[in-house]
Amino acid sequence: MANPNPKADLLQGTLDMLILKALSLGPLHGYGVIQRIRRMSDEMLTVEQGALYPALYRIELKGWVSAKWGENETGRRAKFYKLTRAGQKQLRVEEESWDRLALVVAKMREAT
Amino acid sequence: MKWFNTLVARIRALLGRDVVLQDIDEELRTHIEMEAEANRELGMTPEEARLSAARSFGNVGSIRDLAYEVRGGGLMETLWQDLRYSGRMLLKHPGFTLIAVLTLTLGIGANTAIFSIVNAVLLRPFPYQAPEQLVMLAESVSGQRNGSVSYPNFVDWRAQNNVFESVSAVRWNESYNFTGVDEPERLQGRLVSAGFFSLLGVKPLLGRDFVAEEDRPGATPAVIISHGFWTRRFGNDQSVVGKQITLNNQGYTVVGVTPPGFQFGLDADVTMPIGLSAERFKARGADPGIAVVGRLKPNVSQQQAETETNVIYSRLEQQYPESNTARRAYLTSLHENFVGDVRQPLLILLGSVGLVLLIACANVANLLLVRASTRRREMSVRVALGANRWRIIRQLLTESLMLAVIGAVLGILLAHWGTSFIASQLPAGIPRLNEASVDVSVLVFTLGVSVVTGLLFGLAPALQASRLNLTEALKEGDRGSSGGRQPLRSLLVIGEVALTLTLLVGAGLLIQSFRRVLQVDPGFDPQNLLTMQVSVNNTDGHQVAAFFDQWQERVRRLPGVKATAVSNGLPLGVVNHPVFFIEGRPRPENGKELSGIRYTVSPGYFDTMGIALIRGRVFTAQDTRDTPLVAIIDEALAQQHFQSEDPIGKRITQSSSGSPSYEIVGVVRHVEQDNLEGQSERPSQFYLNFNQIPINRLPTQVRRINLLTRTGVEPSSLVPALREQIAGLNKDQAVFNVRTMEDIVAQSIAPRRFSMMLLGIFAIVALALASIGIYGMMSYAVAQRTREIGLRMTLGAQSGNVLRLVIGHGMKLALVGVALGLVASLALTRTMKTLLFGVSATDPLTFISIALLLAVVALLACWVPARRAAKVDPIVALRYE
Repeated sequence: MANPNPKADLLQGTLDMLILKALSLGPLHGYGVIQRIRRMSDEMLTVEQGALYPALYRIELKGWVSAKWGENETGRRAKFYKLTRAGQKQLRVEEESWDRLALVVAKMREAT
Repeated sequence: MKWFNTLVARIRALLGRDVVLQDIDEELRTHIEMEAEANRELGMTPEEARLSAARSFGNVGSIRDLAYEVRGGGLMETLWQDLRYSGRMLLKHPGFTLIAVLTLTLGIGANTAIFSIVNAVLLRPFPYQAPEQLVMLAESVSGQRNGSVSYPNFVDWRAQNNVFESVSAVRWNESYNFTGVDEPERLQGRLVSAGFFSLLGVKPLLGRDFVAEEDRPGATPAVIISHGFWTRRFGNDQSVVGKQITLNNQGYTVVGVTPPGFQFGLDADVTMPIGLSAERFKARGADPGIAVVGRLKPNVSQQQAETETNVIYSRLEQQYPESNTARRAYLTSLHENFVGDVRQPLLILLGSVGLVLLIACANVANLLLVRASTRRREMSVRVALGANRWRIIRQLLTESLMLAVIGAVLGILLAHWGTSFIASQLPAGIPRLNEASVDVSVLVFTLGVSVVTGLLFGLAPALQASRLNLTEALKEGDRGSSGGRQPLRSLLVIGEVALTLTLLVGAGLLIQSFRRVLQVDPGFDPQNLLTMQVSVNNTDGHQVAAFFDQWQERVRRLPGVKATAVSNGLPLGVVNHPVFFIEGRPRPENGKELSGIRYTVSPGYFDTMGIALIRGRVFTAQDTRDTPLVAIIDEALAQQHFQSEDPIGKRITQSSSGSPSYEIVGVVRHVEQDNLEGQSERPSQFYLNFNQIPINRLPTQVRRINLLTRTGVEPSSLVPALREQIAGLNKDQAVFNVRTMEDIVAQSIAPRRFSMMLLGIFAIVALALASIGIYGMMSYAVAQRTREIGLRMTLGAQSGNVLRLVIGHGMKLALVGVALGLVASLALTRTMKTLLFGVSATDPLTFISIALLLAVVALLACWVPARRAAKVDPIVALRYE
């Protein structure tokens, strides 16, 4: 399925990575994912709900996370997402490529 | 696993849309509630907290839809839309749909059917254990192969050789009268050596194989019956082994039943040990129609086995110079032996059906290309309305796929029907044809080819269409490029024409051959002639003679009967091929004796068969056992051996010394014996008088006697009356092979008719496909150039010019195709030389007329769209977008 907009691809990939990163610290429900991303980024990043759920479902289909209904610490029923082994691998891949990108950008900036 | 998850999710979404939506709703609700809770902890009132949470969440509905699409529902729903839309589009253009579906159906169906047959007959290994080790052995004399082995020679080298694990003699075409039951029946029999079934690695369904003690003269007669016979006459009785059955008035003990579907050469109801009748085959110099099948030892090649066997044969030559001079053995693989005759016609059919598939694919491709370009505007409108590229491609692919699936379903039906039709049309006796059924792997292959073609050529224009520059396409309208700028389409048309021409030439040559064969004068008159066979089991010569005399006498009195006769040997049937000598000439060397086809016939034979007398007289009622022996020869024998001499009054004998000699009293027309296709050298033929067979030898000569009746009415209408006459003489007498001579003639040319018919059908299909292709291409080109044509006419071009313009363009392609096709045909028809009769593989008449035919068809296919172009109203055309 070719996406006509490469920019969207990039953004999507970034969001996926953020979600995977958030879940790498432990299983969470959707609301928790948003909160955790905000905390991890020192309140600099806010993920919109409208973007979060399609992204969660997408990476669930890709097999990077698994979802299960359960209860949170206060006894509320919620759907929890948990990073799978494939998800951990994917996260490493994406982090590496981000590191590489950062390195390249840094080098370019030094060159000027 | 990813695709699997996706698939499961999509199927779940499609099946349980509500379940999925509920799941999403609940999750989103939880989310909002959690946020509200958090808001309350920050000190908001419950109402405020809830509202704020909902506000910050945004449009629940649209998020839900977005999420739903990701979870699979979206794709399935648009797929459904695509399907409905495609269905509507196909129905809206019934002509296009019909042609495309028909093309695919023919391509898939015909290919699968033919290939299934070829696979069953030629390619699939024989159902015996390690069939590659099996060989057939036969003898040749002075290098001339006679396809048979003398039994004493077989027995000798069976004992002496070191190269075969085991060998077995096989003699087909034995016939037995099955009596002692309510309904006597004529059975087909086969003689084999002990261990025949073990040699093939075939285990009898019941009972056992023959053992050596049963395979010698004087043994207790044993028989293995076929599965079919067992089912038909014994109702699958498990206790049949050990029972006695009566065959030719002799009791045989059933020792086994063959497994279902077992086949080895000609069908046989009963199989007996050959050694039991070794007495019949004791003449070493004879050619008794015995074949030998052998299993090579491991690591022994066919070549080694042949060399080694021939070492034994040279010993036999020294030992028995009378019979074995220049007699050698030759080996062929079992496969070659059984399918050698049908291999070439089937391969040619396979080749032609492959060409038809190519043409069909070219046509589908062409149709889809044409369609795609006429839909450029539709596509641009859809793009303008916001359809994305993927969606359009998917839409077009769905359409192609839908066509392919409909074509495939119909193609499978055609393949199923076609396989049994072709199998029923093939000449009898082709091995393993009963195993022919639609071959699944072949079906999958042809389906694949057709569907991939459809998709490929559906996809190319789809990509093109979706990439098109919107504004330009809308502005431009349909005035796209002219046909001349479509190299792919032009190539497809040229290719189609060339392939079609090749097929037509092949079919044309076969049709010519068939016509020539029909024109051959067989030397007798096959019309209104009925033949039937009897095998008389009676050891009293006088009774046998009386039986035939009375039968002829009674039949002659029947209304509608013009003449009747009795014969041993019949044109297009089984005959004897003995050596003979002309008295008063030096005795020829061993192996160089004269030989001829011998017919032993009653006096009425020539009259009944319609064989013309050239000189002298035919047999009469005055020739009896008490008068001098007489013979009649055919013109071929007269020409070859008497040249300028007058043969009348000369004498011939059948063996060297002391045997009776026959005075030649007449010369008759030569008859075609093996088939109607003649031979470069016509074999000699001679006739002896049935009424002069010594009375003591008569009972051994009437195993296979033809009763012939020339009628003045439709011959088959007399069959009941004739049977009645036989039953009146002997109620136990089985009658078989009741056929008209016309049927026999038709059957002798059935293989030729078959290949001609199939290739003809393919050629016609190809021609139809090619004209559709040319027509489609030209219609498209005309539609594309409507504006240009209008402009030309405004500038003063006459409709004649326009006609020439359009036709010229189409014919240029067609003629290039014709030229290429002629070259290809010259190369390909060589391979079918052996299938041709009376016509050369490069017959100029066929080549020229086919090329003209194709040119005319192409012209017609261009003419219709050209006329349309010529009638264009310039004003309308210029306004035309």
